[in-house]
Amino acid sequence: MNAHFVQSASVQSALHQANQLLSANDCRGALEVCLSAADAYEHPPGALCLKIARCYQRLGDTDAMVHWALSAVDAGEEFAVWLACASLLKNVPAASLKARRSARLAVLSSYTTVQFVPLLQIAALRQGIALEIHEGPFGQYQQEVLNPSSVTYAFKPDFLLLAVDERETNLPNHCAQPLEAVEKEMARWRSLWQHAEENSTATIIQHNFALSPEDALGHLGSRLAGSRYRMLQELNRRLAEEAGENVLVLDCDRIAGTFGKERWFDPRYWLLSRQAVALDALPLLARHTAALLAARLGLSRKCLVLDLDNTLWGGTVGEDGVSGLQIGDGPKGEAYLAFQEYLRALKSKGIVLAVCSKNDEAAAKAPFEKHPRMLLRLDDFAAFVANWRPKPENLISISRTLNLGLDSFVFLDDNPAERLAMRRALPAVETPALPDDPALYVRALNRTLLFETAVLTEEDRRRAEQYAARAKADEARASAGSLADFYSSLKMQAIIEPISPEQLLRVVQLLGKTNQFNLTTRRHSLGTVSEFLKDPSCVHFTARLRDCFTDHGLVALLIAFVHGETLSIDTWLMSCRVIGRTLEFEMLRYLCEKGRERGCRSIRGLYIPTEKNGLVRDLFSDLGFRLIEETNGTTTWERSLDDESLPQRSFIQRVASFDALPEEINDGRLARPA
Amino acid sequence: MADLHDQLEGVFQTIFNNDQLQLRDDMSPPDIPGWDSVAHVNLMFGIEQTFGIRFTGDELARLETIGELKRILASRMR
Repeated sequence: MNAHFVQSASVQSALHQANQLLSANDCRGALEVCLSAADAYEHPPGALCLKIARCYQRLGDTDAMVHWALSAVDAGEEFAVWLACASLLKNVPAASLKARRSARLAVLSSYTTVQFVPLLQIAALRQGIALEIHEGPFGQYQQEVLNPSSVTYAFKPDFLLLAVDERETNLPNHCAQPLEAVEKEMARWRSLWQHAEENSTATIIQHNFALSPEDALGHLGSRLAGSRYRMLQELNRRLAEEAGENVLVLDCDRIAGTFGKERWFDPRYWLLSRQAVALDALPLLARHTAALLAARLGLSRKCLVLDLDNTLWGGTVGEDGVSGLQIGDGPKGEAYLAFQEYLRALKSKGIVLAVCSKNDEAAAKAPFEKHPRMLLRLDDFAAFVANWRPKPENLISISRTLNLGLDSFVFLDDNPAERLAMRRALPAVETPALPDDPALYVRALNRTLLFETAVLTEEDRRRAEQYAARAKADEARASAGSLADFYSSLKMQAIIEPISPEQLLRVVQLLGKTNQFNLTTRRHSLGTVSEFLKDPSCVHFTARLRDCFTDHGLVALLIAFVHGETLSIDTWLMSCRVIGRTLEFEMLRYLCEKGRERGCRSIRGLYIPTEKNGLVRDLFSDLGFRLIEETNGTTTWERSLDDESLPQRSFIQRVASFDALPEEINDGRLARPA
Repeated sequence: MADLHDQLEGVFQTIFNNDQLQLRDDMSPPDIPGWDSVAHVNLMFGIEQTFGIRFTGDELARLETIGELKRILASRMR
């Protein structure tokens, strides 16, 4: 078993040599030996990553140490190495971890989680999340949830993980009234969720139940409604169905199946120390849990940039010509077709696709136009770059065109040299390795978990179209005369209204992931926003924007509070895809109206600088606010409500509902059901 | 046997986070600082993964000396 972690002779000898150098206190020598052994790999083996991280630790180079400890996560799901790397990272100051986000998570479990907790920590950090974890007492998940004054609630978690296993369910081996038994068990979990929601603002992550491979009933188990096997399946189905907006369900049964159930369930370690999930499955479970966390925090990747030759089809179009390419026919051609099918499915859940290829543009586009078996079409891509410039350079230009940060991108290329160049030049872009065999492309991409989605909002489904529309609008701007003509030609309409319960998920998604047009970058949780909605002093509204190209969906949000005669803006953000459309003026107009209705005399706004929101540094000044205070870069601004003037004429018509889009662009592609 | 010793030492170094840790055949759990029940589980599992073998429940629960551990490993890997 696990033969893949048995070390190759060259790695073993490098580690042996490094150990000898280390005992002679030659840390640099040891590092050199390991680094040169690592050079032979795209993802060096975990043991090597760990040794290199240790060397850097001894040399006092924390940044390199963190980098190599996290590289062990990419090397494979090797339990002991992950654990060792996690302990290296334990005492690293938060600033050196360079996390994109931090969160507090409470782990409540029905089994031993001593090992799982550090593994989850390192898996999350690999996704850019610095987790502070509170581990509940062994097996006491119910007590901790039911007791309003439990340590878990005092910890004030952002996430509450219920890591439980099927032994914990009160379901008999066989039952005459299976539906009642399942309902009773479901009621227990529902009530735990309710208690958690009443006592905290945490989002719940519920592990569902992996079904054991051992069943005395055998195949009959799947046919008898009263068997434990069927009841557990039904319970899993109900968990998924009844989980509200505040509960994320992790499909452990599926992960266990992928891993192999006879390995997932290891009775020896259950008996030895109450490990319900085999230790070698824990890294995978940690990776999946972290991916779900990342999705909820808005850290999932948004755009996939693809190479063409030998990535989307077999062969090189420049040499083989369109007719010489392998797409659709034969095992290899079918493999590329299957990969395109998967990419199309990613696109339909909202992942933006783009092309970056070293080719002449006409040659690169020809297969899409002429090859009868191509599944992907040119209009599936929001950006298409084919030239002979270095790919990192092209990726930066794609990122500008789409107005997406580099950390939203994944780059896929069959050529390891291109991947290496991308990783070196743009480490923020995720560049997963691709196997040599195209038959395994889908699996390799699927395993990265980079495109996990916590919820599917209408905006997600339509994002690909919206980015393509944005590119079109940019073209219109280039051809339109004055800026005013351009704005008018867009025929923009906006629906501005208070946050409604149906909008909550989208609102929280925006709060989680908006970086550029975000004045305060306050990452309010679903629980917090729900509290705001009940607070009579809170003025809140969202904006939906439509132009002649597309309905952009819900793209902006403002939350403010009435303090006496002042209306203070707590949060103001806008999705990057509608920046530069004058929507901010419309929102301010609306805010002024609300302020006057509430008897306020002035509006106060705050700009808190981050690495990414330089775009809105001067927003308040542009909107006619007066600077009243500045501390450590944070600026406070004020605008009198007696001031009726707004510095720009309006290009956006405020409406209660949108007019239908013109026929020619509403060709069915935009009109997907919610 | 030298190979086995080195590889085993590597697992111990990983689990106990100590590059300098050196194994002798007469060592038993109390001789190695940090060898508690959690570390024991991690260690036995790390050994299984590295050597591609499986201990029995008995072997997992009971471990007298490093020498004995090496004998078990050698017999499994034949």
